[in-house]
Amino acid sequence: MGKEDLVSNNPLRALGLEKEEGAGSRRVGLVMARAGLGKTAILVQIAMDSMLRDNKVLHVAIGEDLEKTRTWYTDILALMDQEKKVENFQEVVGEIMKNRMIMTFKENSFDTAKLGERMEDLAQQGIFKADCLVIDGFDFTAKDSAAALGGLKIFMETSDLKMIWFSALSHRDDDRVSANGVPAPCHEVDEAFDTVLLISPEDNGMKLKTLKCSDACSVDAGKALILDPATMLIKKA
Amino acid sequence: MSVDLSHVRNIGISAHIDSGKTTLTERILFYTDRIHAIHDVRGKDGVGAKMDSMELERERGITIQSAATYCNWKGNDINIIDTPGHVDFTVEVERALRVLDGAVLILCSVGGVQSQSITVNRQMDRYNVPRISFINKCDRTGANPERVTGQLQEKLGLNAHMMQLPIGLENDLEGVIDLVTMKAIYFDGENGETIREEEIPADLLDKAEEKREELLDAVSMFSEELMEVMLEEQEIDPQLVKDAVRAGTLALDFSPVFIGSAYKNKAVQPLLDAVEYYLPCPTDVENIGLDLDNDEEEFPVTNDAADPLIMLAFKLEDGRYGQLTYVRTYQGTLKKGDSVINVRTGKKVKVGRLVRMHSDEMKDIDSCGAGDIVALFGVDCASGDTFTDGKITCSMSSMYIPEPVISLAVLPKDNKAQINMSKALNRFTKEDPTFKTFVDHETSETIISGMGELHLEVYIERMKREYDAEVEVGAPQVAYRETISQRAEFNYTHKKQTGGSGQFGRVSGYMEPCEDEDYEFIDKIVGGSIPREFISSCDKGFTKSMAKGTLCGSPVTGVRCVINDGAFHAVDSSDVAFQLAAVGAFKEGYAKAKPTIMEPIMKVAVEGPSEFQGSVMGSINQRRGMIIGTTEEGSYTVVEAEVPLSEMFGYSTTLRSLTQGKAEFTMEFASFKAVPKSVSEELVKKYQEEKNK
Repeated sequence: MGKEDLVSNNPLRALGLEKEEGAGSRRVGLVMARAGLGKTAILVQIAMDSMLRDNKVLHVAIGEDLEKTRTWYTDILALMDQEKKVENFQEVVGEIMKNRMIMTFKENSFDTAKLGERMEDLAQQGIFKADCLVIDGFDFTAKDSAAALGGLKIFMETSDLKMIWFSALSHRDDDRVSANGVPAPCHEVDEAFDTVLLISPEDNGMKLKTLKCSDACSVDAGKALILDPATMLIKKA
Repeated sequence: MSVDLSHVRNIGISAHIDSGKTTLTERILFYTDRIHAIHDVRGKDGVGAKMDSMELERERGITIQSAATYCNWKGNDINIIDTPGHVDFTVEVERALRVLDGAVLILCSVGGVQSQSITVNRQMDRYNVPRISFINKCDRTGANPERVTGQLQEKLGLNAHMMQLPIGLENDLEGVIDLVTMKAIYFDGENGETIREEEIPADLLDKAEEKREELLDAVSMFSEELMEVMLEEQEIDPQLVKDAVRAGTLALDFSPVFIGSAYKNKAVQPLLDAVEYYLPCPTDVENIGLDLDNDEEEFPVTNDAADPLIMLAFKLEDGRYGQLTYVRTYQGTLKKGDSVINVRTGKKVKVGRLVRMHSDEMKDIDSCGAGDIVALFGVDCASGDTFTDGKITCSMSSMYIPEPVISLAVLPKDNKAQINMSKALNRFTKEDPTFKTFVDHETSETIISGMGELHLEVYIERMKREYDAEVEVGAPQVAYRETISQRAEFNYTHKKQTGGSGQFGRVSGYMEPCEDEDYEFIDKIVGGSIPREFISSCDKGFTKSMAKGTLCGSPVTGVRCVINDGAFHAVDSSDVAFQLAAVGAFKEGYAKAKPTIMEPIMKVAVEGPSEFQGSVMGSINQRRGMIIGTTEEGSYTVVEAEVPLSEMFGYSTTLRSLTQGKAEFTMEFASFKAVPKSVSEELVKKYQEEKNK
């Protein structure tokens, strides 16, 4: 399987991620789950899909170290190769890794203004101009999270980002949900997202429910995608 | 020397450069009565610290070769290996870790966990070395041992907990509070040699109790008895806590943290106690040997003095006393005058003198037993050789030795220098497996290669100082490799008829990329199209071709050569004819197999104040570097990148000027990667020009 096949056969095509990447179109996405179900694995696969489509991805890991984040990519790539027998695998890896940069922050030292500054600096120096931003570990329970989210959406416009994807931790004992079914702590800000995915353990498997999606989605909500618990790879149901 | 191995500790002192480990070793030797005066590392008093025995080390204030020393603390024999702090000398650290049972990781209370500490910690993980940490320089402005302990947890992933609290910090550092015994400890006398125990100062009592609770919570996991006592809220016996800490440390699940200031003579003695309490004795760790009579099957060595002797030579030195071989004894007993067998060469040698080393001084001993680290005289061997008494044929597991990545030409200035240089190079290559040397037959130049600029610089300095060999040095050269990208067929006939007996041989087959090995030869000849006696000639011909690729003259790696057909002549075919046919076949196939040039890529970590992050990233980007990512912590940022070695020459100067000297970097070999087309064309052009000269 070649690089192009990896893109066209990716189950994420069901979300129509590629359809909205024309001039000026943007998407803000969210992956939600309880602790330990695989939010980072999903974000990494969304990032990888974007990298395979020649987009530059900045992966921001809050409260996680660089080596661990890097290992996620290495592991997911190795699993993809194992399952799909990628032609010239090392060459493909070398090529797409040029499209990725990782920034890690301690929980207490992250703020969106600082991130914006860093990204602008990288772009101005011609080092890295991100097309897609992945933020893993954003604190949606913080008091100023709605304002920070708003700030990021403005930054998305000014810096011409195509996508921003977040992960958020939900809790079993908090049953608050929005009208779209988006659980706490994101229930009050669900308007900010175009796509919301929820990892839901069901029948000895893990479903990837699409709680909210733009018109580009062709996925039959809640049925079409699953997360293989053994490999953490997204698959068609 | 005590026979009871429970009172033996073989420890390494490992850390970031300038974190004060040589000073700490100096204090340890002072408090254990091995030396009777304290000297500065940088030799203001003209003497220098005891462990930095090489002149160059004393001058630069860094430890290059790990000197071994021995001391006795409260009836415990402690063998200490002082290890280098610069990454270019990593093989020294790795060799030391191989023979050690435990280690003390030294950190600076201001600088904290820096990139070199991360490298050293990774090495300790590789060899499963239990470790305790000592946060040194608590007398310095900005000292913050709690922050450093946090970094040990976050950056190194250690379950690190403070065993002590400082009484005062920076200029006000007076002593430490022991959280196990809940006593304040002060260090009186001119050199802090008198220990005074007092009650904990009232203003620190609450904090001490809080920290003790944290410590007990963490270590109770390793002792059911302690957990029970805590649950029943009984008084806790300090020995119970110590046992739990020891269990956790030996299992590599816990890392106790001690604090102090070696320079100000504060809290070095409690660290020595900790070495005894918490670091393993030789019988606490399992060392594995390879049984050479049984297909290199692994077996645990016994540590028993009555069993057959097994020793590993881990370090060679050529000093004023002749050749000195440092060995670690894993089992058995060696007596002065005994004969031992070098397992690699099969040679039997007599051990005429057996000494215990104390840096560059020594004490003659009559015997050594399992777990000991001693030095032998007059034993010719290479670093990493195993010795036995002949009753057992085994080898200690081999050490991981990285391939050299940089080389340069050295030209002796005169005939005397030529002779001395040969002596020096012969010695260095035996001492250090990452240092290699050879003569380039085309240019007749002597080439030395190693792990980095500083690595080679130090050997050149040593040639001058120790061997009086004045040499001129060429520009550093990167060790490129060539490889192929696709399968290609070959069918080559070597035919020569110039009177007398001719030469004839035809070799046919294919070559293809081979990821697992540098070179593989497969014979698929059926029906005798190449007679059996000439198959090895084909192999030889291919091997010869691998030594020098056609693109830039670098060695070729990652090629599998398969022969499946050929032809011979009853009279004209010979070993030479088939070797030449294979050389021709290789050349033919190589040209079609899309050959590429590979260059060494280094993993570079630059650490400095966040305000310079942009400039640092820019400087890496300019050097064809691929930035992997950044880690921002407080006001410091670490930028990690993969950069071609050829672009890293002189980077320390650039970085210094970019960051006002506030940033530093480490690098280590990561992998070989194909060079970009423009660089490849340049290298090919340069090689062709040199060839046509």
